[in-house]
Amino acid sequence: MFLRIYQRIIKGLTIVLGLVMLAGTAHAQEGHPLKGSWIGEWSGNTALGDFVLVVMDWDGETVSGMINPGTDNLAIDSVDLDPSDWSVEIKAGDYTIDASIENLELPSRSLTGTWSSRNGRGDFDIVRQ
Amino acid sequence: MKQELKKNRIPTPVKLLAGMLAAVTFSTVFAHHPIQGKFDPDADVQFSGIVTRVDWRSPHVHVFMNVREGNSMVNWAVELENPYILINNGWHEDSLQPGDAVSVAGMRARNGSRQVWGEQVSLTDTGRPVYTVNDTSPAKPLSPRPVPRWSEDNHPVLGAVPGGADGIWGYPTSKALVEDGVNVGMNEYGLLDNVADAAKVAPMQDWALARYIHRQERDLRDDPMYLDCKPPGGPRQYQSDLGLQLIEDKQNQRIFVLLGSGNRNYRIIHMDGRDPVGLVGGDDDNPLFYGRSVGRWEGDTLVVDTEGFNEGFWFTNGGLPHTDRLSMVEKFTRTDFDTLHYEVTIDDPGAYTRPWTVSWDLSWVGGAELPFSLCQHNRQ
Repeated sequence: MFLRIYQRIIKGLTIVLGLVMLAGTAHAQEGHPLKGSWIGEWSGNTALGDFVLVVMDWDGETVSGMINPGTDNLAIDSVDLDPSDWSVEIKAGDYTIDASIENLELPSRSLTGTWSSRNGRGDFDIVRQ
Repeated sequence: MKQELKKNRIPTPVKLLAGMLAAVTFSTVFAHHPIQGKFDPDADVQFSGIVTRVDWRSPHVHVFMNVREGNSMVNWAVELENPYILINNGWHEDSLQPGDAVSVAGMRARNGSRQVWGEQVSLTDTGRPVYTVNDTSPAKPLSPRPVPRWSEDNHPVLGAVPGGADGIWGYPTSKALVEDGVNVGMNEYGLLDNVADAAKVAPMQDWALARYIHRQERDLRDDPMYLDCKPPGGPRQYQSDLGLQLIEDKQNQRIFVLLGSGNRNYRIIHMDGRDPVGLVGGDDDNPLFYGRSVGRWEGDTLVVDTEGFNEGFWFTNGGLPHTDRLSMVEKFTRTDFDTLHYEVTIDDPGAYTRPWTVSWDLSWVGGAELPFSLCQHNRQ
């Protein structure tokens, strides 16, 4: 019981700290459109909570990254970007995210779509910081 | 006195004819950023009115005028070129004065406000053009003047000759990156005549090509140099109409590249044999707008290696993308007193499929000084 409360506190503090560190850092990013830190929600995710932080990088060949960096992080297994319509499929563990990039040329572009896993599905909406 | 506002959608053949005439006679194609970011090329507007004020300051001159709209009088702002460019074309702050009747044709602001980019400004009574700009480099001597050289090492002098007249490099023969040997039509802002030619411009990866096309289709309005005053890093600094200076600091083994306008931006090329990195343990992991540059002489050519760029800017007019994996090799050769040949090889495995090379010339503008202006953010 005490351990679970402690874990929840640590998880909450990690997310808050991540949000604080990323707040107000909407740097222009004119390179690969997925690169950067993204914050938003995957609504109805009872397992991991509504809030989500995604960090992605581009090495010239593949996009790699992490969902919720910290104690409960989830490594991104694959990212497929279709530049013809800027649609994106992200796979991380049991999760699949189908979304598309909106407001491509804005520093605070967004990635909007749906998430799904064996535990459920819902809307997915994150904004680049 | 005619004072009426006419919004019109000019038929394409008329536009083409007007464009050809403008190219032959005069033009205002000398902007240092894509004006399409603020003004809509498809929203032509024409009107006549009375000048109320001339705001003669950088980065752009504005002429304010009263124009009759129906039964009321409204004030329009006509945006023109940089004062430096207008002065170089023989114009002055008092070339127009309050009370003058003028006619204007241009592009209206995208936000619908009463602002217009003045493509043609003329006196209403006589039709005489005002504040026109000719995009022609200074005439060169019939016999090329020899390359000036430093007495101590016989290397070419890259800038003004010590003790001689000042000057700057300007009038680049190319204003947007296109791989050498490729022939595509584009305007002075890097906007392609035919966006279907996009893939020919450079060997882009799929995402980079799609992003380039997206920027082209939006008329380059997302240019962060215009919207957010981001510096013209990379080769873009040699594509500006506002010129640049190369100052060789022999004692400290470095070369300064000073840029016309643009918030007193400058770049340093280190000539002391160091590696292109920052202070180890200090700022070495901080990517920069101008990267980190080290140079060396190969014969009469200055060869500069640069890496360590950030991704917060467009590295060329026209909107070709780059990533932080960008590195470039630049070659500067003063082929005669009045000509600087610039060549750059782009290597960015994050955005391109192979290295590619572009080259162009700049002209010596003797007696000129770098213009200064402070950029203003335009994001709304």
